[in-house]
Amino acid sequence: MTTIREEMWKFKGILFNFAISDLKIRYRNSILGIFWSLIEPLLMLGVLFFVFSTMFKFEIENFPIYLLLGIICYNFFKNGTTLALNSLTNRSSLMTQIYFPRSIPGISSGITAAIMLILELVVLGIFMVVLEFTPPITILILPLILALEFLLILGISLPLSVLNVKFKDTEFIWMVVVHAGFFLTPIFYQFDMLPDNIQSILQFSPVVQIVTMAHHVVLYGVLPSINSILYAVGSTSAIMIIGYLIFRRYQSRIVEEI
Amino acid sequence: MDDYAISVKNVSKKFTLHHEKRDSIFESATSLFQKKRHSETLQALDNISFNVKHGEIFGIIGRNGGGKTTLLRIISKIYSPDSGSVDVKGKIIPVLALGLGFHPELTAITNIFQSSILLGFKKEEISKRVEDIIKFAELEKFADTKIKNFSAGMQMRLAFATSVLVDPDVLILDEVFAVGDLNFQKKCFDTIMSFKKRGKAIIFVSHDMISIKNFCDTVMFLKDGKVGNIGSPEESVSAYVDYLSTQK
Repeated sequence: MTTIREEMWKFKGILFNFAISDLKIRYRNSILGIFWSLIEPLLMLGVLFFVFSTMFKFEIENFPIYLLLGIICYNFFKNGTTLALNSLTNRSSLMTQIYFPRSIPGISSGITAAIMLILELVVLGIFMVVLEFTPPITILILPLILALEFLLILGISLPLSVLNVKFKDTEFIWMVVVHAGFFLTPIFYQFDMLPDNIQSILQFSPVVQIVTMAHHVVLYGVLPSINSILYAVGSTSAIMIIGYLIFRRYQSRIVEEI
Repeated sequence: MDDYAISVKNVSKKFTLHHEKRDSIFESATSLFQKKRHSETLQALDNISFNVKHGEIFGIIGRNGGGKTTLLRIISKIYSPDSGSVDVKGKIIPVLALGLGFHPELTAITNIFQSSILLGFKKEEISKRVEDIIKFAELEKFADTKIKNFSAGMQMRLAFATSVLVDPDVLILDEVFAVGDLNFQKKCFDTIMSFKKRGKAIIFVSHDMISIKNFCDTVMFLKDGKVGNIGSPEESVSAYVDYLSTQK
């Protein structure tokens, strides 16, 4: 891990350059492009709000904000990991011409996703103002929760980026996981609504814990429970260690496979 | 010993050739039940040693698949050798084939920044040089055009201009003269000569025997991954020509 940190420091220029150029490509070099990227979460919000407030009538306080916060947290996870999937393959011509650490594209995807997250959080803020919602003081803990999510994204992104070079179907498998994860995460429902036996399985998911904690601190003024913190930190650390080991196993010969 | 810019010692590199490349998790899982092995190893480089002095133009010739590009990639640390060591003094600029890893969706200027940052420069330093780079490449009109709309020659010019103006200590040129018009070739030639005068090491790979003979001080002929001959350009080129005639 220390070697990765040293390399990151040495190559921090390129790390941010990659992140920014990813954004530029995504937003087609236009300011308007940034707004296009916000349409996706807002559309999702509209659809889910319509379905669950008129058809199913979930009784959740401040449902639009609850929903948007969940979507934003999940989008961060989704964007970070899916950008990382092709981060190495997209740079194959660069990789065969100049040496740089193989971990950079994976990490820079996480940074790209973090920049997108900040834009989406601004939209959340606007929603709060419009809906006249005053968040409790515990919202100050949200950055810590999102930082934990960032570590989780790195722990998944690094192995995904090398695995996708080695095994081309990694991408399809991961997309299924991400889609399934959306429904298995308390985004449009509350975790307590699930049956106990399902709760006891899903509590091991770090994304479930992170989204739940975000809801707690932003909406209810409740500090995350010790249980949630332990599960979230524990599963994130486990994923980071396993992810790093997978990454280390494949990274050195990855250029030859590309 | 210390006055070598590049010293390559006993470098070997093997590649595994998959006849039926398994590149999905599904295939890897099912292949566990099959006994047949679908791969063999290819010795791309076998015990290569050579030194390049400061101010020397070192040519490498050989057939396609003879290990030239693999060797260049090992020198620029893109591949790691299976055994042996490579020691390079100073900043190295690989110009392998077309476009220095340019991203087709980004503009010329953004690409200059990206490549130069990768080569270890700070943003402020690059900002000072961007104009010169564009001017050298004769791409003033196309500075904000995406690379995907560039012709092969324009890309090469941009790549060459970028790598030259960042002033590396070691320059690696892989078939740079294949594209680019006469005017630009002349410019490249002048630049390479001025690099040589300032004591920089240059590795030059080409299939054009005339430019090899004109440029290089020393030439190595790579014969199927082994050193066929290291010596004066005439010697190595004739060894290569002899080898080719025995192949027929």
